[in-house]
Amino acid sequence: MEISWLQAAIIGLFACLSSMPGLGGTSFGNYTLGRPLVGGLICGLVLGDIQSGILVGVAMQIVYIALVTPGGTVSADVRAVSYIGVPLAMIALKSYGLSADSPDGQALATSFGTMVGTLGTVLFYGTATMNLVWQHIGWSAVEKGDFDKLYLVDMVYPWISHILFSFLPTMIMVKMGAPMVDLIKNYLPMDGLAMKTLFTVGALLPCVGIAILLKQIVAKALDFIPFFFGFTLAASLGINLVSATIIAAMFAYINYRIKMLSLMKPAAGSAVVQLEEEEEEDI
Amino acid sequence: MEKKISRKALTKAFNNWYYGNLTCFSQEHMQTFGYMVSMLPIIQDLYRDDKDAQMRSMNTYRTFFNTEPQLGTVIVGITAGLEEARANGQEDVDDETINSLRAGLMGPIAGIGDSLVVGTLIPILLGIAMGMSTGGSPLGAIFYIIVWNLLAYFGMKMLFVKGYEMGGKAVDFLVGPQGEALRESITMLGGIVIGAVAASWVSVTTAFTMTASGADEPFLVLQDTLNGVYPGFLTAAFIMLCWWLMAKKKMSPLKVMLLLVVIAFVGVLIGFFDPGLNY
Repeated sequence: MEISWLQAAIIGLFACLSSMPGLGGTSFGNYTLGRPLVGGLICGLVLGDIQSGILVGVAMQIVYIALVTPGGTVSADVRAVSYIGVPLAMIALKSYGLSADSPDGQALATSFGTMVGTLGTVLFYGTATMNLVWQHIGWSAVEKGDFDKLYLVDMVYPWISHILFSFLPTMIMVKMGAPMVDLIKNYLPMDGLAMKTLFTVGALLPCVGIAILLKQIVAKALDFIPFFFGFTLAASLGINLVSATIIAAMFAYINYRIKMLSLMKPAAGSAVVQLEEEEEEDI
Repeated sequence: MEKKISRKALTKAFNNWYYGNLTCFSQEHMQTFGYMVSMLPIIQDLYRDDKDAQMRSMNTYRTFFNTEPQLGTVIVGITAGLEEARANGQEDVDDETINSLRAGLMGPIAGIGDSLVVGTLIPILLGIAMGMSTGGSPLGAIFYIIVWNLLAYFGMKMLFVKGYEMGGKAVDFLVGPQGEALRESITMLGGIVIGAVAASWVSVTTAFTMTASGADEPFLVLQDTLNGVYPGFLTAAFIMLCWWLMAKKKMSPLKVMLLLVVIAFVGVLIGFFDPGLNY
């Protein structure tokens, strides 16, 4: 799979827009363009194979389904996952002759993407550190009362950080990816221990993504019940995701009604007491 | 005459926040610059010819700020209202009032936003989108792009306006008992959907078999046995293991991933895992 400099540069531009302090903004940059599923669509469009792009994107999306960045600490960088990991995984699949639709193809995509994503945290800290320079300019502008300069500081200067830490690394790695993947392929045969481990890791990694999410919503052991309810719906009963969401919504609705009723109860309870008191007076 | 922030300035303030809340992120100041850029149109509008007042008010927002930026829009709206009150000479609104309110709200809003928006809403949308993209169809990705952005934009716009109009009352709904009932229900919805996502998209299987000497067929195919007990048993077990390591043993996700590499390596060595690949 030959990737031209132009294709690599377009993917590099999307990396600038999508990362955590990304230039597409939080909602559209990070939470839209940065999601591996969307990255898969865009890389697929740029590289001329939408189907593989989406399949690779879906495989990697599960690992990063809950990429929460509490207090700005990251365990993986979305620009690296979605715009270095996805294209490299696409190249690797082509090179190994695997279909992106097969479990093996998905496992390969997952381990490639995660490896790159974890290394990508360097890019995150690089960008954030370089932004300190622009913020320094910003502080002196505020002190001088030169407020309009803040627009440059917040929205324009960070492009320089991104050209260095998003655009260039992405473009170079995507462009050089194909020969690198070929090199790996020649040294590591598919039935060897290393590749078998890599594929197995690829199948295990999504568990971490789901577990990160569970950490958000599970406080006590009983909180696992909704999770296993959903798991059973899909695994044992074969219910698809949209249907499972509707069933879940029904339970959530019932729960909400019950909670609201119990909120109203103290008021109703005191009314009853009042009524009883009145009755006693009557007697 | 009573001062009022012009519609134009309010819209500009919202747009500045919507786009620029994290564009100039650093570990040291996080969303501080996004906040200043967002308050700038409001301050310039309220104190059009009074440079000293502009200086004073901009100084207020130099204080560190960081929260979940999407739900946090409500805080920006509230401070817009407070700034308007200060411009009208309300004496009890000063630097301290504004900044203690910001500092007091950014923690709880970050917690609610991280768990509801990033931890529940986005995964549910992505889960549905992945289902629609089975087989490599771009439909799911397009669905996510459209639905998420409409929800994010109009949701944030509403939070901003409500914050500006209602002040502190706007957050009562989020942190009050009714908000808590709603939050708990949405978390339940999220939990069920995540379970379905895990069962549909994560698949951990074992290749372990036992064959009696001389027999052609193995008498134990572990994967089939486990499926007979509970379909997806190994997947659920590995998810629980990862959760336990992170939540109870306080391991970082990165360390858990490295541990999985070790488990995979050992598993392949003893024949527990075998992706069954060859050329």
